[in-house]
Amino acid sequence: MNNLKAEDIKTILIIGIAGGLAQSLCKRLHAAYPQAQIIGVDSRPLEPSTLPNVTYQTIRYSRGNFENLFRESAFDLVYHLGRVSHTNLINQLSVAERLDLNIIGTSRILDLCLKHEIKKIIILSTFHVYGALPDNPAFLNEETFLRASIAYPELRDVVEMDQLASSWMWKHQNHIQTIVLRPCNILGPQIKNTFSRYLLNPWTPTPMDYNPMFQFIHESDMAHALQKCAAVVPTGIYNIAPYEIISLKEARKTLGVPGVQTPLFILSHLAEVYKRFNPDIPNYLLDYLKYSCLIDTHAIRSFLGNDFCQYTSKDTLKQLKPAQKR
Amino acid sequence: MGVMNQAFDSFLDLPENYEEIFDFLDEHYAKNRDPWGLDHKVIKAGVKMVWPLYKHYFRVRLFGAEKVKNHPYMVVANHTGQIAMDGALLYAAFLTQIHPPRVLRAMVERFIPTLPFFGNRVAECGAVLGDRQNCKQLIENGESLLVFPEGVRGVAKNTRQFYQVQTFSKGFYRMALIHHTPILPCAIIGCEEMYPYVYHPRWLAKNLGMPALPLSASMLLGPLGLLPLPSPVDIIIGDPIELPKELEVDSPDKEIEPHVAEIQAHIAEMVNTGLKNRRPFKERIGLPDQREI
Repeated sequence: MNNLKAEDIKTILIIGIAGGLAQSLCKRLHAAYPQAQIIGVDSRPLEPSTLPNVTYQTIRYSRGNFENLFRESAFDLVYHLGRVSHTNLINQLSVAERLDLNIIGTSRILDLCLKHEIKKIIILSTFHVYGALPDNPAFLNEETFLRASIAYPELRDVVEMDQLASSWMWKHQNHIQTIVLRPCNILGPQIKNTFSRYLLNPWTPTPMDYNPMFQFIHESDMAHALQKCAAVVPTGIYNIAPYEIISLKEARKTLGVPGVQTPLFILSHLAEVYKRFNPDIPNYLLDYLKYSCLIDTHAIRSFLGNDFCQYTSKDTLKQLKPAQKR
Repeated sequence: MGVMNQAFDSFLDLPENYEEIFDFLDEHYAKNRDPWGLDHKVIKAGVKMVWPLYKHYFRVRLFGAEKVKNHPYMVVANHTGQIAMDGALLYAAFLTQIHPPRVLRAMVERFIPTLPFFGNRVAECGAVLGDRQNCKQLIENGESLLVFPEGVRGVAKNTRQFYQVQTFSKGFYRMALIHHTPILPCAIIGCEEMYPYVYHPRWLAKNLGMPALPLSASMLLGPLGLLPLPSPVDIIIGDPIELPKELEVDSPDKEIEPHVAEIQAHIAEMVNTGLKNRRPFKERIGLPDQREI
């Protein structure tokens, strides 16, 4: 199937518009396709949009009125950025609710896209699906097994959502263009995710006994990649990360937030107790602080070019610094 | 602080070519962070600490340095001793006594990265998980690899098996076939005597999730027992072995096995020759030796 041309994109749906990345993407899409009507939806409360041709709606995408939206607006392009984080809402949502939102919700979105003949859907997954395991090779490509849920059952919904989207993508590749993106840690002034909270919290542990490597993509680069995917990237699964990597200790040093020097091999056994005092550290994150989970980005670079990231991992961290001080 | 460091360095016995080594490390590893965790600063500090041990404590003699050319190799050696001092000394030899210097990327067992502190430190020195994908990327980056195809069988030997080369696994040969990287055979003599072997409790190793746990008499000394005995070490580098062009990574075992057996026999022969030319006991304890292999 051919890529979408600018004139093909008349109506765009962004699911999960309340997030910082979605907001950044919305501005970029508005600039790139000024004539297009953009509708942003989220289950969280929203401020009205200030941009022309852009409207926001508070709506749960597992409910019936979500289908009405598809009936009433003939979307050409759908962005699914509405995955419920497996950490920040851990105390508010049960595992069953997260499974419902992430898996049943995603399945519903995909079915609606097919039913209403959407031209392209872009789904944001995460590199967490690979898992941080001691026998990971230096760079994991898109064909690597998704082993996160084997090691950490709390990531089951994240892995299942990715697998659901991937198998759906191949099944319907002749009817709808589907892109599944697995970005590395996304950081930026507007992003509040597990890792940004971990890095910015001075009371979180910095391992004394391990020093894994990380990739950090700036929210602006990620928004740029999401926007470009509409026009130049064909159906497929793609890892997204900048070339440069940085060790955890260097990252915290760059941020100026050293954290609490801790031997992680002891902490692993005290994780349950520690988590009560520090909810920013979910169990699975401890392994991401021990072992590297670096992703290979050759596939996406063949479409977006080698210089699609404006910020290196270090630059991204430096950008995070002023936001933290505010 | 810098002045203090310089003053401290002036007391150290550094390799004659240490500037060349440090320049090499800066040039290759300072600009971009190594994805496997190599840290050039840690290696520089390591050179300062290890060289006096290499030169004066183990009195390492390196033979065949002129055979190493300026391109990637898969360095294959016999595995000896209870703790992998052989790997550390071979690593030091290639960094300090080979021109141009190189950091051998040792391929390690899967349990090594899980070890607190140690796993991180060996990664900072350049060790990587022995994985085909890692191997491919390292060779493409122009790195040389260090492999002990005997694996844990090499380090968990009893006294009667000292210097008996154990069966080689085929994995290293398949990894070398990815880019037809030449194999550089090496023999290491002197590491078996560093830790006097007593017993290998396989049941304990299994319960601790370790592939081997040979116990040494020196362990009775507590942390001091980690210090190896000052056994003099000879490292012998053989002629590079080119891989047959008709073989591929996925060639059947029956085609690969004869080549692996040939390399094993060749290294066993190098070990035997090395043992014959070893420094006699008196010379081992300090007197100079003029003989050549």
